[in-house]
Amino acid sequence: MSVLITISLLAILVLYLGLFKAKKALLPVSILGLLGALSLSFYEWGSYAQPIYNGMMLFDNFAAAFSGITILSTLLIFLLSKDYFERISSNIAEYYTVILFSLAGIIVMVSYHNLTMLFIGIEIMSVSLYILAGIKKRDFASNEAALKYFLMGAFSTGFLLFGIALLYGASGSFDLLEIRNYILSAPQEVSPLFYGGILLLIVGLCFKVGAAPFHFWAPDVYEGSPSLITAYMSTVVKTAGFAAFLRLFLFCFSPLSEFWSPVLVTLAALSLLIGNITAVYQQHFKRMLAYSSISHVGYMLFAVISLNGSSDTSIFVYAAAYSIASIMAFAALILLQRQVGTDSFDSFNGLARKNPFLALTLTVAMLSLAGIPLTAGFIGKFMMFTSALSTYHTYLVLFAVLNAAIGIFYYFRVIVAMYFKEADRHELIVSPYYRLVLGLSAAATILLGVYPELISRLI
Amino acid sequence: METQTSAINYLPIVFQMLVALGFVVLTMVLTHIIGPKRKSKEKLSPFESGIEVVGNARQPFSIKYFLVAILFVLFDIEVIFMYPWAVNFREMSLEGFDGLIEMLVFMGTLLLGFIYIIKKKALDWE
Repeated sequence: MSVLITISLLAILVLYLGLFKAKKALLPVSILGLLGALSLSFYEWGSYAQPIYNGMMLFDNFAAAFSGITILSTLLIFLLSKDYFERISSNIAEYYTVILFSLAGIIVMVSYHNLTMLFIGIEIMSVSLYILAGIKKRDFASNEAALKYFLMGAFSTGFLLFGIALLYGASGSFDLLEIRNYILSAPQEVSPLFYGGILLLIVGLCFKVGAAPFHFWAPDVYEGSPSLITAYMSTVVKTAGFAAFLRLFLFCFSPLSEFWSPVLVTLAALSLLIGNITAVYQQHFKRMLAYSSISHVGYMLFAVISLNGSSDTSIFVYAAAYSIASIMAFAALILLQRQVGTDSFDSFNGLARKNPFLALTLTVAMLSLAGIPLTAGFIGKFMMFTSALSTYHTYLVLFAVLNAAIGIFYYFRVIVAMYFKEADRHELIVSPYYRLVLGLSAAATILLGVYPELISRLI
Repeated sequence: METQTSAINYLPIVFQMLVALGFVVLTMVLTHIIGPKRKSKEKLSPFESGIEVVGNARQPFSIKYFLVAILFVLFDIEVIFMYPWAVNFREMSLEGFDGLIEMLVFMGTLLLGFIYIIKKKALDWE
């Protein structure tokens, strides 16, 4: 639990550093603090197995692994934030603080053992994100993103809370263990309230992870928010949402899978279809990434649909691969937006000749997102498909393979534009921080693609 | 004690709702029917304790009001949390100082926030 305390204290420390005008120290202190939190989550790996704080939290291997990957992704995003927030306004310390507070909420979301903690974690995370979406005060799109995200988020929280209330009404407890015991004691006599609660929880959580048909906020919010915040939302937040989703379903609702599994199969198929088909028609890189993130939600739902011993590992590997690849893509997007001023596919033309390193790493990212072998994305998709096949969801897997083929089309548009289309352009300036993030992430993507055992045994 | 409840137990709530709704509907309808109808300019203007109406009520006013109001709510809630803590303080302090320390951590966090507000001059009106 020291991870949560470290991150919360770090947030306050960064806030005070900003207050006392130590602007140079903000980024180094945040990064050092996150490294500390990361090592603490490794240290706690395999140590706690008992619920703590009166059964409110359980910091097991699952929680340690997911805190690790969310902290690592935040670390990479912080490295990209060098000179980013300075362009928006002078309140840089506040931006770092709010991101760290939302990370604290995420740590609660991945380690809850009580439904009230799930709710509190989601709220801490979401409220911070509503602010972050709107930090470009003078930008109309950013304002729209913040307002839309707030209205939709508040609405979905209502569903979530109502679902939790119904579960409490049926089982008489917020504790995950007692809810599980309630189902196991009489599986045939589970109250109808409980089923209603499960459905409402699915609605609430699917809003948060952005699964179709609850995805309507996602493209506008992702496009309107500052790109760095979009990177945070589509990687760290999505990973945390799935960790919370899986923790609840794996631990509590698995005996009732006959009831909710058809619902999730429908949602997964819809997310795949809508995400992929609309991504094909996009002309802008950022909007394409937003829609492709909806389709990735579809793939990740496979692990929840086919609950078994390896579901947590497959979500973990998929989320790690997806986060790392997305961060690379967003790094390229930020460079492009800042130095070219647009992010349409045409602006990638001829990039490989002027910026070979950037083009190479972006290619690795696109290959990983498309799920081509020897990249981490392939291992993630492979694990998802095998787990879905193990529960005989053959048609779903067939459908997903078709969709993966569509995905290859729009991811390869970027690669084709970079390598095979000529255009007169200036070389993009890639700062050392960006080089470090791009290089590390590309190396990690290929390493995980070749040796997936490195992280697949963590949980 | 009876633990199972059925729909019939909620009947009083239904009656309560019906009475509440019925009262509203009845008084609205009655006043419209038996009340006098004089539509002069003075009658239609909003009643402001006898003072004449000045301008429109819907105009933007300074964001500072919102800031002060929301900060007031924040520290108001802090005090609300202290009531149940104070009531249970005797029981908590039986096993050492845990209860006291937990409250100090809570208040310390809010105090840090308060210092931040003062330093940022959020409460300065000018």
